[in-house]
Amino acid sequence: MTAKDLLPIALFAAVAALLPLFVTQNTWLNFAVFTLIICLAAQGWNILGGYGGQYSFGHAAFFGTAAYATAILQMRYGMNAYPAFAVGVAAASAVGAVIGFLSFRSGLRGSYFALVTLAFAEVFRVLANASEVTGGAAGILIKLDVRPANFQFDSRASFYWIALGLVTAALVVTRALERSRLGAQLVAVRENENAALALGVDALRVKLSAIALSAAITGAAGALYAQYFLYLDANIAYGTWISVEALLAPIIGGAGTVFGPVLGGVVLHGLSEFTKTLVGRIPGLDLVIFGVLLILVVRFPPREIPGLIRMWRARR
Amino acid sequence: MTAFSPSRRTVLLGAAAALAAPRIAGAQPAAVKLGILQPVTGALAQDGEYGRLGAELAINEINSTGGIRALGGARIEMVFGDARSNPEGGTAEVERMNSEGVVAVVGGFASPICLAASQAASRYDLPYVVDVGVADTIVTRGLRNTFRFGPGFGKVTSGALDNLVKINEAAGKPARTVVVVHEDGLFGSGMARLMQNELPKRGFEVLETISHPTPARDMSNVALRIRALNPDLIIPSSYYAEFVLLSQTLQQRRIRPKGIYCVLNGAASNFRFVREFPQAANLVMDVNHWADPRKPKTAELRRAVEAQNRFWLYNTPLNYSAVMLVADALERAGRADRAAVIDALGKTDGSFTRHIMPYGPTRFENGQNQAAQAVNTQVINNDIKVIFPEEFADARPVFPWPAN
Repeated sequence: MTAKDLLPIALFAAVAALLPLFVTQNTWLNFAVFTLIICLAAQGWNILGGYGGQYSFGHAAFFGTAAYATAILQMRYGMNAYPAFAVGVAAASAVGAVIGFLSFRSGLRGSYFALVTLAFAEVFRVLANASEVTGGAAGILIKLDVRPANFQFDSRASFYWIALGLVTAALVVTRALERSRLGAQLVAVRENENAALALGVDALRVKLSAIALSAAITGAAGALYAQYFLYLDANIAYGTWISVEALLAPIIGGAGTVFGPVLGGVVLHGLSEFTKTLVGRIPGLDLVIFGVLLILVVRFPPREIPGLIRMWRARR
Repeated sequence: MTAFSPSRRTVLLGAAAALAAPRIAGAQPAAVKLGILQPVTGALAQDGEYGRLGAELAINEINSTGGIRALGGARIEMVFGDARSNPEGGTAEVERMNSEGVVAVVGGFASPICLAASQAASRYDLPYVVDVGVADTIVTRGLRNTFRFGPGFGKVTSGALDNLVKINEAAGKPARTVVVVHEDGLFGSGMARLMQNELPKRGFEVLETISHPTPARDMSNVALRIRALNPDLIIPSSYYAEFVLLSQTLQQRRIRPKGIYCVLNGAASNFRFVREFPQAANLVMDVNHWADPRKPKTAELRRAVEAQNRFWLYNTPLNYSAVMLVADALERAGRADRAAVIDALGKTDGSFTRHIMPYGPTRFENGQNQAAQAVNTQVINNDIKVIFPEEFADARPVFPWPAN
């Protein structure tokens, strides 16, 4: 990895970090924080789905595990929020490794892998819904105690910078992966697993490393979500909504690229917010317009936004 | 009260005027902005619409009867937010309402939305009045800005058990054995566990607890099991579709216990159920939120709602009452200032009578109205009647069910 590799990331982080100095309205900061959380979850998906070609439909399993771990450790065991955050990320990563081991070892690929991950997430959702430790139906609440020592901040800007820091870190990790031996092997597995095996790539090990890393990043998004909204229930933590968000953003922004998930996340949520202000007060109409725009974006190949830009440039 | 009482006419006129001319510029005192938060898209859209309806009716009524007098007759301007049936949506809308300068927020409907939205509002010391959300945690977090006019889960369930004992005793203790039927998800399992623990203490024998998934397509096995157990009483905790299916199956198979007693049921206090399945709904009892049937205003509001071809659900009176509560606090605060409104809300007492809920004199403790309670309802002659507590009842319980 050279300085040239990191320059765009540094540029992005610097520009984005200045945002709260110009945008002081909390409405917008709240929107930005939520978008960054989704971007982070999507970056996790991108490692496994974008670079590894293993399309997961169940990243909620990692998002939810980290979120619940963070909340439960704080509320039931009195742990400080920062180590709880770290344990949450580690727990998500471990869950990723276990799910990966079970499904990759059985040779599940493509839609079979997608279905198995979906099933895992659903199982977690049902368990969390029924279990005592997660608060079951009533959900779990992190005590509101606004102090930086508790990972709770008075200003939304502080949260924004933390979320941005995590997104930037994930960008750096993705770039490092891209330039590393593991990254090259992962792409080889994506392009042709049998050929990669023939060349001596340990496909199982490569995929396991990818899913563990992927789960950790999406887990960080989950833990951050819990810390930001301070409330979880099974449908929030393990619901299909987050699995869909996590895979939609990279697919739109460009799967298997460093900035794809961030671009996709910002465009998706920007679009949804834009349509919301556009149509004003008729409930649901913005969702209709958003859906139509989404279909248009996905319909016209090359699908990803960078592809569209390239196409547009080539025409001129 | 006659059908054409002046106050009803004023309400309708006010509603018509508000619809016809939403923005009349004038030299009136500045309008007070009030945030109304409801999920009107997504899974909870129907509930959200009925909540919004209640808030609108209250705001129209306040505006057409002279506005907030203490503020020189200031009108209330609704700032509506769609919570999209999830907590993030609720939070985002509270942020927007805050930037638009609302003096308070009313609504939320579901507990997760109420929890997140009231927390977001607490950052700005923005008063938040919960309309429905029953989770006990909503008012036990120590948030100064959060108030709930209706009852919480603990109050509803303990009241449900006490009332069951009283109704049973008044009828000469016909019921002794119980079968609990519950959906195996969130609220059903919790309710079933509570029933299993508490009913034996009150002299009932729980023969069996039968769970079913949501959605369920067939209730025949559950019904057959109930027939075999032959309980005096069935206590179901299910959502709308499953409860409708269960009560229909019981009816088809001619299984008639001495009563069906629901707690916070999705169907039993819902006029859709009564209209669409009158026979299955007949005589089903429920413990739920319900408007005070003795207040003339309740009948008036119900007619206004039904005139729009809508059902009379509890969301409407709860939101109507919550908006009236804020209006009352504004009158007493004397200024559209958030801190003053929080202060006034906390000091609300029995002089607040513009609500239509069957509660005693209002008294807030840690943001929870101590007088709030659920009531027992029963479907009698295609209508939903209040049968208990007696001071609010407009019908006598039909229990045990007649034999035919």
